[in-house]
Amino acid sequence: MTGSASRSVRGAGSRISLWLALLPAAALLLLLIAPLGRLAVTGFTGEASWPGAASSSWTLWTPWQDDYLRWRVLWSLAQAAITCVLAFVLGLPLAWVLARFDFAGRALVLRLLMLPFVVPTLVAALGVLALWGPRGLLSGWLGVNLQDTPWLLLYGNLFFNLCLVVRAGVDALGQVNARQVAAARSLGATPWRAFWRIEWPAIAPWLMSSLCLVFLYCFSGFGLALVLGGQRFATVEVEIYTLVAHELQLGQASVLALWMLVLTGSIALLYALLEKRLAAPSRIEPVLRQAPQGVAQWLALLAALAVLFFICALPVLAIVWRAVQAGWATWATLLDAEVRAALWNTLRFSATALALATLLGVLHALAAQRSVPWRAAAFLPFVVSPVTVAFGLLLLYPGWTASLPLLLAAYAVLAYPFVAKAMAAGLDSLPPQVLHAARTLGASPQRTFWRVTLPLLRPALRRGMAFAAATALGEFAVTLFLSRPEWSTLTTLIYQRLGHPGAASLDQAFVLACLLMLLALLAFLLIEWPVAERAAPSPSLASAVGVGVLRHA
Amino acid sequence: MLELRHISQNYGDKALLQDINLSVNAGEIVAMLGSSGSGKSTLLNIVAGLQPPLGGSVWFEGRDITHMPPEQRRFALMFQDFALFPHLNVRDNVAFGLIEQKQGKASARAKALAMLELLGLAGHARHKVWHLSGGEQQRVALARALITQPRVLLLDEPFSALDADLRASLRAEFKTRILAAGVPTLLVTHDEAEARAMADRAVRLVDGRLEALW
Repeated sequence: MTGSASRSVRGAGSRISLWLALLPAAALLLLLIAPLGRLAVTGFTGEASWPGAASSSWTLWTPWQDDYLRWRVLWSLAQAAITCVLAFVLGLPLAWVLARFDFAGRALVLRLLMLPFVVPTLVAALGVLALWGPRGLLSGWLGVNLQDTPWLLLYGNLFFNLCLVVRAGVDALGQVNARQVAAARSLGATPWRAFWRIEWPAIAPWLMSSLCLVFLYCFSGFGLALVLGGQRFATVEVEIYTLVAHELQLGQASVLALWMLVLTGSIALLYALLEKRLAAPSRIEPVLRQAPQGVAQWLALLAALAVLFFICALPVLAIVWRAVQAGWATWATLLDAEVRAALWNTLRFSATALALATLLGVLHALAAQRSVPWRAAAFLPFVVSPVTVAFGLLLLYPGWTASLPLLLAAYAVLAYPFVAKAMAAGLDSLPPQVLHAARTLGASPQRTFWRVTLPLLRPALRRGMAFAAATALGEFAVTLFLSRPEWSTLTTLIYQRLGHPGAASLDQAFVLACLLMLLALLAFLLIEWPVAERAAPSPSLASAVGVGVLRHA
Repeated sequence: MLELRHISQNYGDKALLQDINLSVNAGEIVAMLGSSGSGKSTLLNIVAGLQPPLGGSVWFEGRDITHMPPEQRRFALMFQDFALFPHLNVRDNVAFGLIEQKQGKASARAKALAMLELLGLAGHARHKVWHLSGGEQQRVALARALITQPRVLLLDEPFSALDADLRASLRAEFKTRILAAGVPTLLVTHDEAEARAMADRAVRLVDGRLEALW
C-alpha cells in the first residue's frame, strides 16, 4: 500500500470520528458553550433583568469592591480550601491504614466508600441536618447548636470529599513499588522515613489531583451551601441563584457567574495539568498488606474506621433514624398525589435523561478515541456548575425556560460525561490484540464491535450509566431554574418542605430523602454489583472513583 | 503461496522495514527472528491486514491482497498473550471464527467441541478462559485459529509467555498440527532454538532488512 493509501485509511477513520462526534458536539455547543458565551457577554456588558425588576449597574469588578460580595467570594474560596486541608489531614492516614492493613471486611469498607458518590447532594445536606440541625441526633445529645455556623457546610463537604481522598489515596498507595520500599528500609530508612522519602513522592501527585477536584466541587457546590450555609455562610452559587430567582437581577448574577467561570476554569486547568502527569507504572510489585500487629496498629485501624463511620456513614443513618422517628402519619404522606407526581417525574425525567446520556456518552467516547481535545471536551459539563449551566440556558433561551425538552436536555448534558468517561476508560483498557484476533477470525469492524468490544465494555458502560442515573435522580439546581411547578421532582419537593415552617414539614423532608436515597442506593448497587464473570479489560477502581467523584463536581 | 514484495514501513521518521521480500509455500513453516523492536510484529500485522504498509504489496496465490481487509483474508494470527475473548467460554472462543463464516451457532459449537476433544480440552468447554493454565490457553488459541481452516497461519511469539518445559512440549504438538493442516506458516520469534525446532526455513530481521539464516 502506498503512503497515500495509508493516509486514506486514516482519513476514513477521521471521517467516522467526525460523524460520531456530531450529536454530542451539537449538544455541547447548544446546551453548554453557547449559553456560557451568552452569560459571558451579559457579564461584560452588565444590564439584563426580568421585566419589573429594579435596575442596577454593576461593573465587572463589583464583586471585588462590594464588602458583602467580596465576603461571599472569599468565603466560597475559604470553605473549599478548609475542606481540602481537612480532607487531606484525615484522608492520608485513613488511606494508609486501608491500603496497608488486611482485615475482615476491608473489601466491603472500600465498596461502601463509593456510597457518598451516589447520594444526592440534597440528601447529604439533610443527613447533616439530621445530625446537627434542630432536634438533631448529635446536637440534641451534646447540647450544641451549630445552626448559622460554618461547621454544617464543612461537615457536608467532608461527607462527600473525605471518601474521595481516601479512595484516591488507597489506589495511589497500591501503585507504590514494594521493592523500592524494601530497598529504602535495607539502606537504613525507618518506616516513617521510608514513607516520606519513597511512598509520599509516589502518591503525592494523585492526592494533589484529588484535592484539586475537592476544591472544585466545594467551590462550585450549590445544594449543600443552599441548605447548610444559611444566610451568612452561603456561597457564590447560592448568591447567583438568589439574584436570579428572588431578586430577578440577571445582569448582577451574570457578573458573579462570569467570575465563577473564570475561577473554576482556572482550577479545572490546574487539575488537567496535574492529571496529565499521572501515569501508573506498568509493572510494579505492590506492597503486601499485613494484619494489624500489636495494640497500636489495632487502635489505628479502629480509629480510622470510627472516623469514616462518623463522617461518611452517620449522616446517611441519621436520615433513616429521623424518618423512622417521623411516624406512620408522615410516611403516609408518600401516598399524597403531590409526592406520587414528584416520584413519577423523578423517574421519567431520570429515565429519559439516562437514555439520552447513554447515547451521547457512547458516541462521545467512540469519537474521542482519535482526538485528545475531543476527549477533554467531555470534562466541560463537569467543570461548569449546574447553576451556571441553568442560568446560561435561561439567558440564551428565555422563551424556552419552562420547556420540558430543554429541561431534559440539560439533565442529559450534565449526566452524559459519566458515560463518556467510563466508556473512554474502558476503550483505553481494551487490549488491541483481542480486537485484532476477532478481525483475523473473520469479523468485520461492525461485527467486532457488537461481538467483542461491546460485551467487554459492558461493565464500564454499566458503571457510567449508574453514575449518570444517580446524577439525574439527584438533580436539583437545573430543576430549580428551569422547571415548572407541575414538574416538581423529589429533590425540589424536599427543598419545598425544608422551606415550610414546622417540625412536620421537616419530618416529611426526611421521609422523602429516605425515598430518594433508596433510589440512589439502587444506582449504587448497579455500580458495585458483584460481576459473576471476569471481563478482563474493565477500567480500574481508580478510574471508577474518578468517574464517581465528578458526579458532584 | 504467500508473498511479500518490497514491503516498507516507518516508525515515526525511522525506517522500520525496508524492501522486505519473502515467500512462504503451502505446508512450509518459516521462522522470522529478530530482536525486540526490530519490526517483526509490525510485519506480521501488515501480512494479517491489520496495518497498511507504507510501500510494497502482499500477495497470496498470485493475487494482490494488500488492500483486502483482515476479515476477508482468512489469515489466522496467534498472539503472544493468546488474545482469547474473556467474555466467552472456551467452546465459544473456538467457535467464534466459524460463526463469523456464517455457520449456524449449533453447528459451529459442535465443531468447536470436536476440535477441543482432539486437543484434550473437551472437559474445559464450558469454562471461562481464565480458568485454564497458560499451556491450555495457548492450545485453545491454536484450536480457534485452525478450526477456521485458515489459508495462512501467523504466529507472533506464541510460546514466550510459557515456561520452558511446556514450551518444548507445545512446540512439538503445534508443529504436528500445523503440518497436518498444510498451511503456509510464518512464525515470529526471538528464540533461535524455537525456530530450529519448528521451522523449515529461517530469516532474521536486522536494521529493517531480512537476511536468510538457513
